[in-house]
Amino acid sequence: MTDVIAAARAANRTILSEVEAKQLLAEAGINVTETRLATSIDEAAAHAAELGYPVALKVVSDKITHKTDVGGVELGVADEDALRAACERIHERVTAAVDDPQAQGVSVQPMAEPGAEVILGITQDQQFGPVLMFGLGGVFVEVLKDVAFRIVPLEPRDAAEMVREIQGFPLLEGFRGQPAANLEAIESMLLQLSEFAEANPEIAELDLNPVFARPDGAIAVDARILLTSDS
Amino acid sequence: MAVTRERLTRALAPKVVAVIGDKKASGYNWLRSMKEFDGPVYSVQVDENEIPGIEELGIPNYKSLTDIPDQVDFAVCAVPRQVAPFIVQGCVEANVGGVTLFTSGFAETGEDIGVELQNKIFEIADPSGLALIGPNCMGLHVPGLGVRFNRDQPAGVQGNIGFVSQSGTHGMNFSLTGAAHGLYCSTLVSFGNGIILEAADYLEYLADDPQTEVIGMYIEGARDGQRLFKTLREVAAKKPVIIWKGGQTEGGGRAIRSHTASLASDQAIWEAMIKQVGAVAVHNLDEMIDVVKATLLTKRTQGNRLGLIAMTGGQSVVLTDAFEKAGWKVPTLSDESYAQLSEFFNIIGGSYRNPLDAAGTIGQDPKHLDTIFDILNADENIDAVGMELSATFMARRWQDKPEEFDRLIGSLKKFMAESGKPFLAALHPSHVEEAALTARMRLQEEGIATFPSFERAANALQKASRLAAV
Repeated sequence: MTDVIAAARAANRTILSEVEAKQLLAEAGINVTETRLATSIDEAAAHAAELGYPVALKVVSDKITHKTDVGGVELGVADEDALRAACERIHERVTAAVDDPQAQGVSVQPMAEPGAEVILGITQDQQFGPVLMFGLGGVFVEVLKDVAFRIVPLEPRDAAEMVREIQGFPLLEGFRGQPAANLEAIESMLLQLSEFAEANPEIAELDLNPVFARPDGAIAVDARILLTSDS
Repeated sequence: MAVTRERLTRALAPKVVAVIGDKKASGYNWLRSMKEFDGPVYSVQVDENEIPGIEELGIPNYKSLTDIPDQVDFAVCAVPRQVAPFIVQGCVEANVGGVTLFTSGFAETGEDIGVELQNKIFEIADPSGLALIGPNCMGLHVPGLGVRFNRDQPAGVQGNIGFVSQSGTHGMNFSLTGAAHGLYCSTLVSFGNGIILEAADYLEYLADDPQTEVIGMYIEGARDGQRLFKTLREVAAKKPVIIWKGGQTEGGGRAIRSHTASLASDQAIWEAMIKQVGAVAVHNLDEMIDVVKATLLTKRTQGNRLGLIAMTGGQSVVLTDAFEKAGWKVPTLSDESYAQLSEFFNIIGGSYRNPLDAAGTIGQDPKHLDTIFDILNADENIDAVGMELSATFMARRWQDKPEEFDRLIGSLKKFMAESGKPFLAALHPSHVEEAALTARMRLQEEGIATFPSFERAANALQKASRLAAV
């Protein structure tokens, strides 16, 4: 399980790629979209054929943190022809936006069925150690800062309380005909993350953003992990 | 070596006290503060110029701790910082239970010499198991035993509030202002730099202390946050805990890459921690006093429906606003209640909606207040009762006719004794502030939770109701 971290350390990196982050999370039993690295267009096509269309493609580069901002993301890619064209477009946009992007390739993942977008995260507090965050995704987290925190380790009661603590909670219960999110699935993901944070003290920061919270469960479709810089 | 509970108890509930290094320049503050101590007090002072003044106070002075013909449980040390390590060494040799180091000028200065002296003290105290409080603190206040660090602090009264403070000033202010509200400490510790004993140690002691019913804490930061978190979780399950977090810790200045880290402010984390352990957060001294008061003096309820009694229509409105803003509901009463109220209520200039605008009705016959209380007690729509006591109308009258005030207090206490529902009162300051203050003091002495504004009353009851009944 620490292989991914060891490899990053060996390469003197503190940022894990999305593929690496998801591998680590999947090994811990946390529900993520299966995501594979492709270093060529042919490889991307092969992965997509196995994973099943439609897929999402995202540029993989240590130099790029915000992939959407540099045109490094293509969503809902329907078939192999579309995939080949999408890979070309990503290449053109990223090389135009970033000086020497040093891209390793693209990540390929199946498009997850959408649900309410939530964010789950880990950070390290100087005094209390690992801390978990929960909020609604998008503007709710970025503009309104409508989030709840708890200190690790979480008890089941803590997970239930933090989900209900945010102002936007009614949106998860099925507001205006939207399907209600599976709250138990969110709560168990929080409890899994609490264990994950305890087991991996080298994780300085983690965002699962977004996690799609659907009536039938919760799945993280993007993941970002930053390692501590001092070990 | 960990400080044993036996050693900590000797320090915090001492039978014999010594004051080391008190002097005229400080007005013999430490010795004078111990005047009411319930046991022998000794002085240790080597300065020949200071000794006569100490002896004039009637306190026996010795040149060294080991000369004292008694086993000292608790020592106060007010010597210069360079001398402090020697005094701590003396405490170890004399098997003193615990010592509080008022002395400052250690790690808090950021100076090398301060850090060095603090480390030296730690190295002397730690292996011995000495219960060392501080340094850089005001130390211990136990009113029941007459242990004080300020002469205005109460003595000879057994309190029921445990208070742990990282700051001497806030600890002192809580004990002084609290006493003016009829609130007394069981044990108060100001622990300053907390190099041997820290907040968690005192919390564990107070959790087990039979005199302590509620615990308040002022804290700025924790050396071992996980230990504080886990201790608070255990302690708050046993007794109500109210936490005032002061200041903001610097984030450390590292580059932040995630939303999670960027949103995790010091304040957000502390507020979350306080909620998570089952304590409540307050943000200033007034709020600390209010919530402690409501926790001690009002019963707990699971519900949030309030029956309110006001003296005028205008106050009915803002009283309702204040409580609803704090999360309470002010519902309609049951049909049965309305039927009963309609039989005697004076509706000319009054109303028996909720809030009950009841001045005229009570003025007509004070027995009506008891009837109103009986009705609210029986009403299933009501979980708690609040009442406006109008200083503007009544304070001067209560002075002139104390029997009327006695009667009112009798009615409030009768309701409090008979009903399982929480009761609280608000008595605003008014144009006759002295009379209002006298009335408020009396209400407090009678154990009636009284607040100086509707907003403070509403907030206090709301926060107290979040604390588990113990």
